[in-house]
Amino acid sequence: MRKSILLYFGFILFLLPSTVLAQMTARGTVTDAKTGSPVPNATVVVKSSNIGTATESDGSFTLQLTKSNATLVFSAVGYKTQEAAAGSSMNIRLQAADAANLDEIVVVGYGTKIKKDLTGNIAKVKGTDVQHMPVANLDQALQGRAAGVFVEGNSGKLGEGIKVLIRGSSSISASNSPLYVIDGVPISTSSYSGNPLADINFNDIESFDILKDASAAAIYGSRAANGVVLITTKKGKSSKVNFQVNMQYGMNKPTHLRGFLDAQQYIDLLREAAINSDIIDGINPLDPADYPGSWLEFAERRLTRYSGWSDWKTVETNTNWEKMAFDDDAKTSAIDVSATGGSDKTKFYISLAHLAQDGILVGNGLNRYSGRINLDQTVSEKFKLGFNLSLSQTKMNRVQVDNEFATPLQMVALSPVTPVRDLDGNLYNSPTTTYSNPYVDYKEGHYKAIIYRNIGNIFGQYNFTQALSFRSEFGVDIQNQNDDEFYGFNTTYGNGTNGYGQSSWFRGIDYNVNNYFSYKKTYRGIHDVDAVLGTSFQKYSTEEANVYGEQFPVEALQKLASAGLIKGGTSLSSNSSFLSYFARINYKLKDRYLLALSTRVDGSSVFGANSRYGFFPAVSAGWVLSEENFMQSASFISFLKLRASWGLTGNAAGFGNFAHMGLWGGSAYNGTGGLVSTQLANPDLKWEKSNQVDIGLDFGILNNRISGEIDYYDRQTNDLIYQVPVPGNTGYTSKTVNIGGISNKGFELVLNSDNVVTKHFKWSSSLNLARNKNKVTKLDGVQTLLAGNDGRYLNSLIVGQSIGVFYGPKFAGADPANGDALYYKADGKTTTNDYNDAGNFIVGNPNPKMIVGLSNTLRYKDFDFSFLFQGVFGNDIQNGAGGFMSSSFAWFDNQTLDQLDRWQKPGDITNVPQLRLGYDNGINASSRYIYDGSYVRLKSLTLGYSLPKNLAGKIKLSSLRIYLTGVNLLTFTDYPGWDPEVNTDYRADNVNQGSDFYSAPQIKNISIGLNIGF
Amino acid sequence: MKKQIIFFSAVVLLAMSCSKKLDINPTQSVPQEFVFDNNANILAALNGAYDVASGGYVLGGELMLYSELLGAGDEITWVGTYNQPREIYNKSILTNNSFVANTWSESYRVINICNNILANISKVNDDDRDRVKGEALFLRGLMYFGLVELYAKPYSAGNVTTNLGLQIITEPTVDGQVTSANLVPRSSVQETYAQILADLIAAKPLLNDEIGVFASKYSAAAILSRVYLQMEDYARARDEANDVIENSGASLTSTYAGAFNNASPSSEDIFVLPVTAQDGTNDMWLFWSTGDYGARDGDVEVNQEHLDLYDPSDQRLALFWNADDIYYSGKFRYQYRNLSQVRLAEMILTRAECNERLGTVTGAAPVDDFNTIHGRAGLGTVGTVTLDEILKERHLELAHEGQRIFDIKRLKETIEGFDYDDNKLVLPIPLREINAVGASILQQNDGY
Repeated sequence: MRKSILLYFGFILFLLPSTVLAQMTARGTVTDAKTGSPVPNATVVVKSSNIGTATESDGSFTLQLTKSNATLVFSAVGYKTQEAAAGSSMNIRLQAADAANLDEIVVVGYGTKIKKDLTGNIAKVKGTDVQHMPVANLDQALQGRAAGVFVEGNSGKLGEGIKVLIRGSSSISASNSPLYVIDGVPISTSSYSGNPLADINFNDIESFDILKDASAAAIYGSRAANGVVLITTKKGKSSKVNFQVNMQYGMNKPTHLRGFLDAQQYIDLLREAAINSDIIDGINPLDPADYPGSWLEFAERRLTRYSGWSDWKTVETNTNWEKMAFDDDAKTSAIDVSATGGSDKTKFYISLAHLAQDGILVGNGLNRYSGRINLDQTVSEKFKLGFNLSLSQTKMNRVQVDNEFATPLQMVALSPVTPVRDLDGNLYNSPTTTYSNPYVDYKEGHYKAIIYRNIGNIFGQYNFTQALSFRSEFGVDIQNQNDDEFYGFNTTYGNGTNGYGQSSWFRGIDYNVNNYFSYKKTYRGIHDVDAVLGTSFQKYSTEEANVYGEQFPVEALQKLASAGLIKGGTSLSSNSSFLSYFARINYKLKDRYLLALSTRVDGSSVFGANSRYGFFPAVSAGWVLSEENFMQSASFISFLKLRASWGLTGNAAGFGNFAHMGLWGGSAYNGTGGLVSTQLANPDLKWEKSNQVDIGLDFGILNNRISGEIDYYDRQTNDLIYQVPVPGNTGYTSKTVNIGGISNKGFELVLNSDNVVTKHFKWSSSLNLARNKNKVTKLDGVQTLLAGNDGRYLNSLIVGQSIGVFYGPKFAGADPANGDALYYKADGKTTTNDYNDAGNFIVGNPNPKMIVGLSNTLRYKDFDFSFLFQGVFGNDIQNGAGGFMSSSFAWFDNQTLDQLDRWQKPGDITNVPQLRLGYDNGINASSRYIYDGSYVRLKSLTLGYSLPKNLAGKIKLSSLRIYLTGVNLLTFTDYPGWDPEVNTDYRADNVNQGSDFYSAPQIKNISIGLNIGF
Repeated sequence: MKKQIIFFSAVVLLAMSCSKKLDINPTQSVPQEFVFDNNANILAALNGAYDVASGGYVLGGELMLYSELLGAGDEITWVGTYNQPREIYNKSILTNNSFVANTWSESYRVINICNNILANISKVNDDDRDRVKGEALFLRGLMYFGLVELYAKPYSAGNVTTNLGLQIITEPTVDGQVTSANLVPRSSVQETYAQILADLIAAKPLLNDEIGVFASKYSAAAILSRVYLQMEDYARARDEANDVIENSGASLTSTYAGAFNNASPSSEDIFVLPVTAQDGTNDMWLFWSTGDYGARDGDVEVNQEHLDLYDPSDQRLALFWNADDIYYSGKFRYQYRNLSQVRLAEMILTRAECNERLGTVTGAAPVDDFNTIHGRAGLGTVGTVTLDEILKERHLELAHEGQRIFDIKRLKETIEGFDYDDNKLVLPIPLREINAVGASILQQNDGY
């Protein structure tokens, strides 16, 4: 007894000094309430503070506290968050989370929140949901995952443009892309060429938090009008080091082939077209006397020319040029390795990855190496610092934009009577091929881009008290790019000049400094206050240079050092900067009444001194009804929250850095420099502003087994920046002004459900659905219609209509009497064969009415199965190449198969006018080439099998899983072109949507993979 | 204490901001007020005006191309894929034809630069002032002439006081302002010609004598001669042509082929656009030559009907070349070669025609001028000559050099069944201009 008393005293004495430093140490273990097994990597934090740790692999934790009566908050992926008073031997049993994920941590600008406390609309996509998807870009991985987030690739070219619209288009000519922020650093979404998001390995990403409404996004003020995507990368844990290895291998195919006339059909229809033209000219080419000089002679001479060594009369050659454009052996392989671990003080996440993907088009490919180190160091209980750093190298074999003769899919224009090679084995080219042959460009030229990207930040955080902390972040995003191009002696760009070479260099440096105070405190147990106050400065600088030359001595020498003639070169630079002040305060009363206020003042260099600063406030409130006593009787409702928010956000990106200035630029005449007018001034140019109201309802029923969100929003964007046409007699064609308005109204629905939850079988589904109505509300106040008909496309701006609607002549089919293409006149009833006399109508809308995503996850014992259907409804697509490929043989381009239904004799009722070589019979832009672009797609599918833990342990592994995965496996659509997910790259912008022009179909991929953990 | 220091530093960091960081200027451009500030910059702007004027949509090819396509008849065929030139060739032009729109706006861009120079002419050094003013006036007059020939009824169609010409703008656009001066209706054909004459007549005495790639007294005289010819003022057309022939120092190249595909001005060039690998545009080469010479695909083919017009021994016939039995013009065969705007030969033929019409022998008898041209083509000389022979000689000598439709119009010929003053031979006012100015102010041409 005495001994024990002494021991006790000794223990007290021993403890005393440490109690002075840290009044208490909390210890314990965290286990799964159902199974009792330890929960590793669970987060343990002191409530209302930033002090915390994570559990070890055996579920244990130790946490030094500064005061004794602290409350600890325990959270872990897949579990409900739990609170408990700190103790020295705690036993925490976490309950498995339900579908509502109400306790999930959501990243908001400059902080985090628990989902049930949110007053704004934020969609969260977990990194695990998209992990190992065999696509190159993180934006592609998000497709179909979040309500109201519309993702559309321009085409199936790798690493190229992808449109991401959050709740519709809110700008006409400024950027419509959301702001991407990685670990607090807003990253650059511009680059010299290609898609800058292709440089990021999204397997490193822990979560995507998409800020959709103004109250959520307004803390990013000027940059937030299009929404914000906050990306958080994986962080280290205080546990033993865990290695994960993933290996993946698969095949890439086009989703669909379009089909063109074969040689016999080509010959028959071309001759028919020539004869028809001769008859119009009043001659009968079948009469030998009339034959010389006839269209038929002309066509047959061309057939002979196109046939090369072969004889078209006997249909000796039948080349499928469409197939030639695709690589039938395209593969994807990926490997990534990561290590996570750390001690109490130091935590790290390290990864290394390699992705090699062949495009489906010949000559297209992407090869990326990337590495990341994320490190957190606790210096003292008050001071924490760390860094997140990623480095990547992306090599791309690019193909030309869709309107270049050298782009692979323009091969479809070539005649099927043309053999691929001559009798000596050389590739045929123009003039034997109808146009210069893109296959020659592929074989004898290259366009290689190599991009080094470094995104990183360092941060320090000092906790003055448990409630008040200060964080300072310095981030950089460095892009270094070299585009190396060479085109051989027979290529489109290199013929006649003995080759063409170009070398371009680009450097983009984006640096960003954030400094902010955070304050978090609970008063009297019922008043929760959480506030942020800070500043941010960002500067983006670019430098670029290029040089190009011709006259290479031999094709083997492809660098400009060997160019006999340096044709030219240039160097350019540009800068822009933002200076911002922001504040936010959140207040919560009794866990049921929520209020948030935020504001941001932004200054930007892209505006003139008159209107440089913008003020962007937001306010939002929430009411958790299910916490109220009167709701307790409605027991089937487990959670119910009403939210409402209003906010103002701005847009200052995407229209150049100096649009407000009247500018003259350098030029040259006779080898001497000159100055030429380039831009009309507008010193009053100012921010585009979006005013958004959001009303939402979050609910959980049947013990949150079914949960969801319903949101209605109304976003009015005004002062839209637009290049207004001005009279050419000013010496300019346009002026950048704040011209008008756009409204986006819509609703979003998210439904999550745990359909089956048993010990061995779990099935959950998640549906997201969004309807958006986009409407241009004002142009310049005078004009209500800016018709965009350029002969090929019809995207227009019309007040009261959606942005970029197709406005132009309405095609009325072929005249049954004579095969003329007919259009409706302005009265909408009578028809004319004169395109100039046709009336103009709204003949289509490229904006989808509704987008839907439906995902299902099933788990049976050691098998997992998940799939995602994604749908886009109500949008139209215009084939801008219709006037070439479906043109009634206006010229020698090979034609689509629908041309077989051409008008042939009086009385024929058809939509394909009479074939007429050399005549434009209905080939100008009209509703003729507009199609319904709705589609439903099996976006992704994964089937996996994991080795049971005990078996894995026997081979010294913590986990082992093999899986089969694929993207774009099935597509259901009425669109007759290659793929309904399309917007041709050479003209894609906010207005010019829904257009197809020899654009590559999307990639269909099937891969097998293996994950190992140890 | 430490805590306070950290807190204080944090507050300083937070407040650290400098709005000067938002003052960023472009590195590739300068503001307008900087340009019209001093002598050197205004001279640079003048060089810029030449650069824009020599662009493909204006003097660098399209003005010539449009004329030849409108006047194609069965002599040439447009076989290229571009639909914009094809519409012009087919005489069924859409009002949104982008070539038609760009030629309009680029011409006015030159006019605005010239207007800016003229408005700031007092800032130019005494030594340069007359010349700079003369060149700006010349370029402005030349632009208006290029536009009025294509976008308005020909002078020969009469009704010059009621037929619509161009919007005449003589004040510069400043401070980004589109003013009421820009929202004006079209002046008449007569008023437009008056403006052109005023500019060129004022320019001529101010300009240098030296012919070549910049405006000179003689390039002004040569264009004046063309303007008067369109106005059927043969005496003045003759006199201006005579001035060029007698005083410019130009001489015919020894061979016909020597007048084309030159890398430096030939002895015959009165006004020529320099084209090198680094600089300059030659869209005539682009559309008329073939892929083997780095051009497009031989978009304009020369037909047998044209070749049949020549005597078999005519050196001008020999300049045509063929590939795969298709004939192409040899005048624009090679890349990076200058593009002649006015050759001495044209002045000689103009003088011959006018003297013949007027029964005069100013400078030389018509037959002598005819023989000068005919003889250089390797066809010997003749004793007498008729007006028709002179006009045919003009047709062949200047073939495909951009004068065809203008000659057809002033000579009141028909082409492909269209009368010389047919609406279809006039380009439409670009739709974008009508939209920007307003249809009630800017009137579209008849037939569109």
